[in-house]
Amino acid sequence: MSDAAIVTEKLTRRFGNLTAVDGVDLKVAAGQFFGFLGPNGAGKSTTIKMLTGLLAPSSGRAELLGLDFAAHPVDVKRQIGVVPEGMGLFERLTGAEYLRFVGRMYGLDRPTTQRRSGELLDFMQLSDRPKTLIADYSHGMQKKLALAAAVIHGPRILFLDEPFEGVDALAAGALKALLGRMTERGVTIFLTSHVLEIVERLCSHVAIIHKGRLVAQGSLEELRAGIAVEEGSKTTLEQIFLSIVGQDGSQQPQLEELSWLM
Amino acid sequence: MADVARIPGVWEQVRLIAGLRWRILRNNLRKKNNQWDLIGMILAGVFGGLAVLGTSVGFFFGAYTLLSGAHEAWIALLFWGIFLFWQLFPVFSAGFGAGFEFRTLLRFPLSLRAFYIIGLAYGLSDFAAITSVCWLIAMTIGASAAKPAALPAMLAISFVFLLMNITLERLIGSWLERILARRRAREMFLALFIFFAVSVQFISPLLQRYGHSAQPWARQVLPYLAVFPPSLAGQAIVSAAKDQYANTLLGVAGISAYAILFSVFLWMRFATQYRGEELSETAAPARAIARPVSRSAEHSDALRLLTPQVAAVLRKEYRYLTRNSFAFFLLIMPPVFVLLFTTQFAVRHPTAVKHPVSTEMFFPGMMAYLLLILMAPAYNSFAYDGKGIQAYFTSPVSFREVLLGKNLLQVAMLSFELTLCVVAFSCLVGIPSLPVLAATAAAVVFNISGQLTIANWSSLSFPRKLNFGQMRGQRQSGMAVLVGFSTQILLGAISAPILFMSRWTGDRWLPAEVFVFLAAAAIAGYSSSLAPLAALAEKKKEILIDALSR
Repeated sequence: MSDAAIVTEKLTRRFGNLTAVDGVDLKVAAGQFFGFLGPNGAGKSTTIKMLTGLLAPSSGRAELLGLDFAAHPVDVKRQIGVVPEGMGLFERLTGAEYLRFVGRMYGLDRPTTQRRSGELLDFMQLSDRPKTLIADYSHGMQKKLALAAAVIHGPRILFLDEPFEGVDALAAGALKALLGRMTERGVTIFLTSHVLEIVERLCSHVAIIHKGRLVAQGSLEELRAGIAVEEGSKTTLEQIFLSIVGQDGSQQPQLEELSWLM
Repeated sequence: MADVARIPGVWEQVRLIAGLRWRILRNNLRKKNNQWDLIGMILAGVFGGLAVLGTSVGFFFGAYTLLSGAHEAWIALLFWGIFLFWQLFPVFSAGFGAGFEFRTLLRFPLSLRAFYIIGLAYGLSDFAAITSVCWLIAMTIGASAAKPAALPAMLAISFVFLLMNITLERLIGSWLERILARRRAREMFLALFIFFAVSVQFISPLLQRYGHSAQPWARQVLPYLAVFPPSLAGQAIVSAAKDQYANTLLGVAGISAYAILFSVFLWMRFATQYRGEELSETAAPARAIARPVSRSAEHSDALRLLTPQVAAVLRKEYRYLTRNSFAFFLLIMPPVFVLLFTTQFAVRHPTAVKHPVSTEMFFPGMMAYLLLILMAPAYNSFAYDGKGIQAYFTSPVSFREVLLGKNLLQVAMLSFELTLCVVAFSCLVGIPSLPVLAATAAAVVFNISGQLTIANWSSLSFPRKLNFGQMRGQRQSGMAVLVGFSTQILLGAISAPILFMSRWTGDRWLPAEVFVFLAAAAIAGYSSSLAPLAALAEKKKEILIDALSR
């Protein structure tokens, strides 16, 4: 348990009669690049919200870096970075002002905040519009800024909800390289994405949530081992995902009904 | 090959658009918690209908009386009234946000002709157009009752006048859509609107003072208005009443020429939209520039006495205030109100009313009124944070610091505004006696501290998102407004008798002493409220995030 960055026990969240996350037991080791997958409405974002302090669990507990989140929220938040769903930006600030705001909120001193803001803006290729408000940024630029804000304090765990959505290929490449370097330094990255190729390329470990329940967890090799495929061919994450999530058949659209389109 | 059997005709497309508008309206009313909206709409519809009916009767009698008597030339004023209302009312309502985006229809297979006709039909469906048409009908009936022979002329004039107005209104509307597509333009527009609304308050005092001297100038200007459509319409109907049909035809031709000219411009404008027009908010890429690190930022910090988190929130709040044109321009209101009220009511000002209020009474009353205006936003203080509210919950801070940062800016802003008003007040009518000044100052501290405590609770309990540079659909939370008013009435009810204490007891310093005690108690109450309010924020975070991130 000591080398685990994230541990959840029976983590549950109910909204009225709907159980969005149902007794999830997760274990993510420190320094892992962890992919958290699931179909739309499976409970991915709700889980991330509970792990980052945006949502209180109905029951169960979450432990990050050995600290119980409910008991030590401020100490935990100091060590994590988050790109939440919707990004959570103050859109009436400029990119630099926002990064300085976030840096100061994490308690960095002013010169450090100033220096890191500039470096991050340069890296994200956002420094050529110093006076542009975030409200006037494109979606991809906002995403890059949210990523920059999530890492300004050098977090030990990084939670990324759809981080590459809307980001151009050039910036995405640089970001992937950055995230890779961060995991080499021991930073744990917890990522959700609908683009399975990205998860397959970046993540060493994966968990799949379906209808609020954790249905698979392990390294890619472990998950591959559980899927029967033709001899000699390598199982893709998409095949793993479809075989696990599509088992009950409820996710398969009935193409026959659209015969007029084919 | 797409399976489109046939392209629907223009009128079928108009009918489809009308149906779409109706469904959008109906579905909006089906939304949760929109029952009050429905009741509000019904009430507004009833009152609006009565107002239109009442003013239509006025237009009927106006046209009838003017054409029956010796002042028939003044009928142009009625046309001017319709013209200005038809053109200006939609302009002001357009500034308050985006309504149905007519341009979005362009993704469907519409011809330019159909797009143009639907555009005109759409222009006839707004409140200003319907009201103006009612007034024109009332005028036509009134004019025909006075001079039955003028009916055909009145019908022709009304028709071309209507056509000209719809076309011009759509032309202005489509240009406004283009201009207001950019956020900065919307905010500038809103600022101008507020400036206009404030300026209107000064019309009465200015007319009282300069009305007589302005009359000759107005008479010189009036002839130049004769070439504009409303004056042409007036002249045409007067000519018809005098059986001078050649002049009537000339007037109709003049209005028609305007209608044709506006139609050409509108066609060109719609054609540009039809071909595809970029209305993106995103600025063009700028050249990369070297970004020097600010030395002042490195070495000095004006807010170093505060914790980094409180200072960060305070700075962010200051930037939000200066970038919110609506909130920022509201700050010019207090000094303007001081100016306005002192010229109307205060004792020493030369233009004051016959029975003025004494400075001793007027000063505390004025301060109470200013607090009423300036404290109102504090009751929904997260309104403009939007999705950024999540940053407060993901950051390693106690919400106590967030509230403190927000309140500190509120107090700084109030201090600045009240000081400005006191200076303006003292220049205009002088300051009250020292005991009243001290009592008022202590009462202000008591009120601000007391109100901030309750306003913080209200902001956490009844959050409602508001957008920058927009007024349409920007309603405060009903509960926050109720809490705000109740608190202000309660604190006012406590403060007013204390201020009168000196009259009953003869001790002029007693109110000041009582208010100092109350202010100390309120400050202590405020300080001890921050920790429970931080706990409340944690408890209410889902409601806050949900309400503000929509």
